Amino acid sequence: MTKQPFTEKFASHMTSSDSKLLDIKDISVSFGGIKPVQNVSFSIKENTFTSVIGPNGAGKTTLFNLISGMNKTTSGEIIFRGEPIQAIHAHKIAQKGLIRTFQGAKIIRRLTVVENLMMAVQGNPGDNLIGFLKPKARKNFEKLARDEALRRLDQVGLSKFADEYAGILSGGQRKLLDLSRALMANPKLLLLDEPFAGVNPTLVEKLLTVLAELRKDQYLTFLLIEHDLETVMNISDRVIVMADGKIIADGLPNSIYENELVVDAYLGSRRKES
Amino acid sequence: MSAFLQPGFWVFVLALAGIYGIFALGLQIQYGVGGIMNFGHVGMMAVSGYTIAVLVIKYQWSFWWAALLGVTLAALLGALLGLTTLRLSGDYFAIASIAFAEITRYWILNTDSVTGGTQGTLAIPNPLGFGGYTDQPDRILYWISDRLYPVLGDEASRDMSMIFIVWPFLFLFIWLSSRLQQTSWARVLRATREDDDVARSLGKNVFRFRLQALVIGAVFGGIAGVFWALQFALLAPEDFLRIVTFYGWMILILAGATRVKGLLVAAIFFGFLYGATRFLEFWPLSLLSSPERAYLRVFLIGLVIVLLMIKRPQGLFGKREEMVLE
Repeated sequence: MTKQPFTEKFASHMTSSDSKLLDIKDISVSFGGIKPVQNVSFSIKENTFTSVIGPNGAGKTTLFNLISGMNKTTSGEIIFRGEPIQAIHAHKIAQKGLIRTFQGAKIIRRLTVVENLMMAVQGNPGDNLIGFLKPKARKNFEKLARDEALRRLDQVGLSKFADEYAGILSGGQRKLLDLSRALMANPKLLLLDEPFAGVNPTLVEKLLTVLAELRKDQYLTFLLIEHDLETVMNISDRVIVMADGKIIADGLPNSIYENELVVDAYLGSRRKES
Repeated sequence: MSAFLQPGFWVFVLALAGIYGIFALGLQIQYGVGGIMNFGHVGMMAVSGYTIAVLVIKYQWSFWWAALLGVTLAALLGALLGLTTLRLSGDYFAIASIAFAEITRYWILNTDSVTGGTQGTLAIPNPLGFGGYTDQPDRILYWISDRLYPVLGDEASRDMSMIFIVWPFLFLFIWLSSRLQQTSWARVLRATREDDDVARSLGKNVFRFRLQALVIGAVFGGIAGVFWALQFALLAPEDFLRIVTFYGWMILILAGATRVKGLLVAAIFFGFLYGATRFLEFWPLSLLSSPERAYLRVFLIGLVIVLLMIKRPQGLFGKREEMVLE
């Protein structure tokens, strides 16, 4: 297992006292002349469920890319578990327990379903070339990882595909795999990018139940991107609405419907359509 | 056609196949596992081969220490290549790697005072007045052929002894490599082959994994260079042309890039194609001159790659479903 640096110990102490897991302070990014995210600030408390909604091009995915370190901010600060993370590599952010998924379920097609899950495990001695010289430790860890992976697959009803290539899975199954894989990485905060897009309503119900259980049983914190407010109404404690790279509303799900800015920028256009 | 029936021909084919098998094993880890398109692999072979020749001839090093340093230098150059260019995406890295191998070859070609330049290692300046560097390992080769002589008679050649040295190493490396490919290290590397972002988002340092794969591949390239230097006992810059890298690629594609054990058969097939062209003396090929016939091998190898791409893109031993999954 990796050594826990002093800062991280200190950080976990901090987070438990003020319970702010993620604190985003005035972040912006510009790609040339385009500014997909501008002066965004908000914080997430532990064990909460927050949804980010907004029309296409609102900057939701870019926001996720910034938080997860896939893109770097032009200005502002991102604090995760008491530690600034805006300047560190994406993989290091993930190692701290901030795990994200991608729009459209990025699975590794030419790995088997169970291997997709096993690759997500943190602290695997076999991930290191030195681990090659310790076959026993490697094999023991692999066995534990496989058992854990099979258990997770069972949870989402994919265990019968465990040793098939992930490439044979259907769209909905890929979403389930993607979610299970993120969970294998031992997250504290899970960023889910449109996990319900293109998934049939029955499966959405099932996924929502799984998420609610995870929140309760594993004390996870969720930040989720979704197009459709109604899908996340019941599960979210809080909804953040983005438009044109800015936060235009932030509050309880019910209050969002009454917000005029939201009606104009997002819900309004949808009402006109219907 | 009787040439194909002579044991000497097959001994040459096997010796060559062993060396190229080790060479292709480096590419297999880089591309078959890590998806890294290295088109400059020959550079590693050139570096280790020439390191041996220069250190032994010019500075009277022991062959063994020179070989060790040669392989180490190949690994270091692999690391240097990776550190400077591995952040480039697939195709761009491939181009940069060709440039790397060409720079190496041109350096060898133009640094006469060290490498002997166009005339090869025979022209390396040395205080003792001769240009050989294989004296020490030759003692082992002759020891082996002395032991083989009672059994094989005149067939107990130097090439035959080479087989007894190269093939055990090839088997050992294939075994080690297939063990390595069962680790979670290789699993992460396979994931990066398809999608960097997923691996990064799950806490994997993609650059480190790729760099390690590149260096391990470079070590195999370097070891192949040691055996190459030993086999031919004379090196010249034109031994390390770009085409040599693609010979390695042909073996890899023939085997199926993800199938490490297929390399054995593919390397022998390649050795046969490579060696066979010099025996194609029957009509109408007899109308061509001998150097022209030598070029037939390039033509044949190209043809094999094209046919494979059409008929069996997964290689002889690969799984088709790995190619068609979307």
